[in-house]
Amino acid sequence: MASEDEVSLLVIVVDVNPIWWGQHAQREPEFTLSKCLDAVMVMGNSHLAMSRTNKLAVIASHCQDSHFLYPSKSWKGADSGADDASSSGDGKYELLSVANNLIAEEMRNVMSKTEVRGNSTDTLLAGSLAKALCYIHRVSKELEVGQEIKSRILVIKAAEDCALQYMNFMNVIFAAQKQNILIDACVLDSDSGLLQQACDITGGLYLKIPQKIALAQYLLWVFLPDSEQRSQLVLPPPAHVDYRAACFCHRNLIEIGYVCSVCLSIFCNFSPICTTCETVFKIQLPHMVKPKKKKLKQLA
Amino acid sequence: MKLRVQLQCKNLHGYLKELSPDVLDRLYNHPATCLAVYRELPSLAKNYVMRMLFLDQPLPQAAVALWVKKDSQRDHDECVSVLAGLSLWHSRQLQGGLQGYTLNPVFKDNLRIALLGGGRAWADEGSTLGPDRHARDIESLDRYAMERWEVILHFMVGSPSAAVSQDLAQLLVQAGLMKSEAGEAPYITSAGFQFLLLDTASQLWYFTLQYLKTAQSRGMDLVEILSFLFQLSFSTLGRDYSVEGMSESLLTFLQHLREFGLVFQRKRKSRRYYPTRLAITLAAGVTTSTSCASSCSNLTSTPGSGDAGFIVVETNYRIYAYTNSELQIALVALFSEMLYHFPNVVVAQVTRESVQQAIANGITAQQIIHFLRTRAHPVMLKQTPVLPPTITDQIRLWELERDRLQFTEGVLYNQFLSQADFEVLRDRAQGLGCLVWQDVAHRVMVVTSQGHSEVKRFWKRQKSHT
Repeated sequence: MASEDEVSLLVIVVDVNPIWWGQHAQREPEFTLSKCLDAVMVMGNSHLAMSRTNKLAVIASHCQDSHFLYPSKSWKGADSGADDASSSGDGKYELLSVANNLIAEEMRNVMSKTEVRGNSTDTLLAGSLAKALCYIHRVSKELEVGQEIKSRILVIKAAEDCALQYMNFMNVIFAAQKQNILIDACVLDSDSGLLQQACDITGGLYLKIPQKIALAQYLLWVFLPDSEQRSQLVLPPPAHVDYRAACFCHRNLIEIGYVCSVCLSIFCNFSPICTTCETVFKIQLPHMVKPKKKKLKQLA
Repeated sequence: MKLRVQLQCKNLHGYLKELSPDVLDRLYNHPATCLAVYRELPSLAKNYVMRMLFLDQPLPQAAVALWVKKDSQRDHDECVSVLAGLSLWHSRQLQGGLQGYTLNPVFKDNLRIALLGGGRAWADEGSTLGPDRHARDIESLDRYAMERWEVILHFMVGSPSAAVSQDLAQLLVQAGLMKSEAGEAPYITSAGFQFLLLDTASQLWYFTLQYLKTAQSRGMDLVEILSFLFQLSFSTLGRDYSVEGMSESLLTFLQHLREFGLVFQRKRKSRRYYPTRLAITLAAGVTTSTSCASSCSNLTSTPGSGDAGFIVVETNYRIYAYTNSELQIALVALFSEMLYHFPNVVVAQVTRESVQQAIANGITAQQIIHFLRTRAHPVMLKQTPVLPPTITDQIRLWELERDRLQFTEGVLYNQFLSQADFEVLRDRAQGLGCLVWQDVAHRVMVVTSQGHSEVKRFWKRQKSHT
């Protein structure tokens, strides 16, 4: 049983990509972003209800930026809550209703300020994850003496993967692994190779849910237990992981490519100078038939 | 016969299990109690409850058993028994003869309300009263709560300045923490000493339990005040709440809480009250048993006053207590010899005599160690273990020294006329498993008092035969 000293921090990263959710609402009008957020709130509330020391943070991952939905800047913290009478006036636990109102309000802010510029329609997931890591780091530094923190990140992923973010994403994953932070992923639509790797490396759970409408139940069932209880429970088996890397030149996912012998950058085409570390590959190509440098390497 | 009475600090779980099922059902009628009970469950059971919270049909038992891996089966069984013990799970007959589980419907509804909203408000909001002209900030509330609580502790150690109400004094006597002889001021018992050494959260919880025990004799509704207590523990610090709509007995209860420092009310007739940190940590302090190592440190520090972590223990058996509080100094002096007293620090020495003295007063070694550990200075907290093991071991050894004698009540049989008589009776007693001691040479034996009647009957039959 978790002792009183152990703070369990759950950071939920929600993909709120307006383009994806807009298109999706036309295809499946019964599952919208607000439904998804409801499920997230249920999940968050359940986590907070489990123990007094549990903490929660929710980050919305948007097209160009990411926002903290909870705890937000406009919130002065529970201790000075005397002035906000944002309690819903029903039987809900006060702390939870304050949190939920805040999430809804912030979400409204984010959405009303949205303006999609240019053609960047991908979700800035790597950025949000980095923010989550920073937040976790901050919380762990603010702990009292003798307290320990166990943190994990839950990603609720809607839109497609973005190969452009490959580098950042991998860096975030390894940073998380080093900090012993689990990354869980709940994928709504299409499988995400990046998140599969993230979960596999950090020891989190990856689940592509078959029924979107039952999101809340999946979250409670699979993602609510923390790592300690997960070792006791029977959970979905680990998914097959797509370990393809993205090349640095065109951001394509490739299975076989060229690797720089100095900095290990990956390229889909051969080039005599590494674009990352600017190493010149000193090889003579007397005959183009068999270039020595052309190292075939399986990246796995 | 154990001579001293061990002070038992039960947790909420143990308390609730003793209540009858219909009292429990009535308790679950309030979202706050549901949430409090839910938090007390083992972590695996919490997940079980969450999984079933939104299911309307019963689940087959076989399916539930498959939730856990094979090697955690024991944890699973424990969870099931806990859930059944609190009557949170009901067994249902499924179609097709299978046994199934459902969540207690009352509990399910109210936990849903606590989590997701709906239903009636817990209490009338203070905001209906408008802003308070005498609003309190958190610091002053903390100070107030600690002051009130310390008055009680001071009263227990007999400080002349501390005065408490008749009701409270009576409660302390009923709880066995103090004893009072006719016409005399009550004085502290050995249980009271043990009580003083607990950390604030445990003290509070023990005290509340004692209060609840006597509540029914005061004509109070147990369910009503328990619900109110849990509701308090989930309220927001620094907010005011209205007394509107509270029944007469609840208002009396509120006045008692006011005296303990759990709530702040400016005047007796004031229409609003502020819960203090003591009330809010009440439910949190429930789980901390005396065995948990350093985990209470954050709880004791929460009341926000100066008593959070002030003791430094060195391997040379010296204790440095950085405090001005007379009470804390008195507590340290319970098991140590005072050496020096400075304006902000006292220095004391733990000796064999002082510890033996404390143990003679009914304090256990465990309690002394727990006291030192929970009030350890932040510098001490940084090292593991918090207390030097030599000290903790030695205190335990000193306690064991006293336990060299074991008392067993018994009846002495002597003056047997023949060796044969003695042997017959002794073998009989041995067969019954009630022989405590024997001395063949002197034909003397001791039999436990439970076995005495049986042995006596046997002896009479034996005599009439011969």
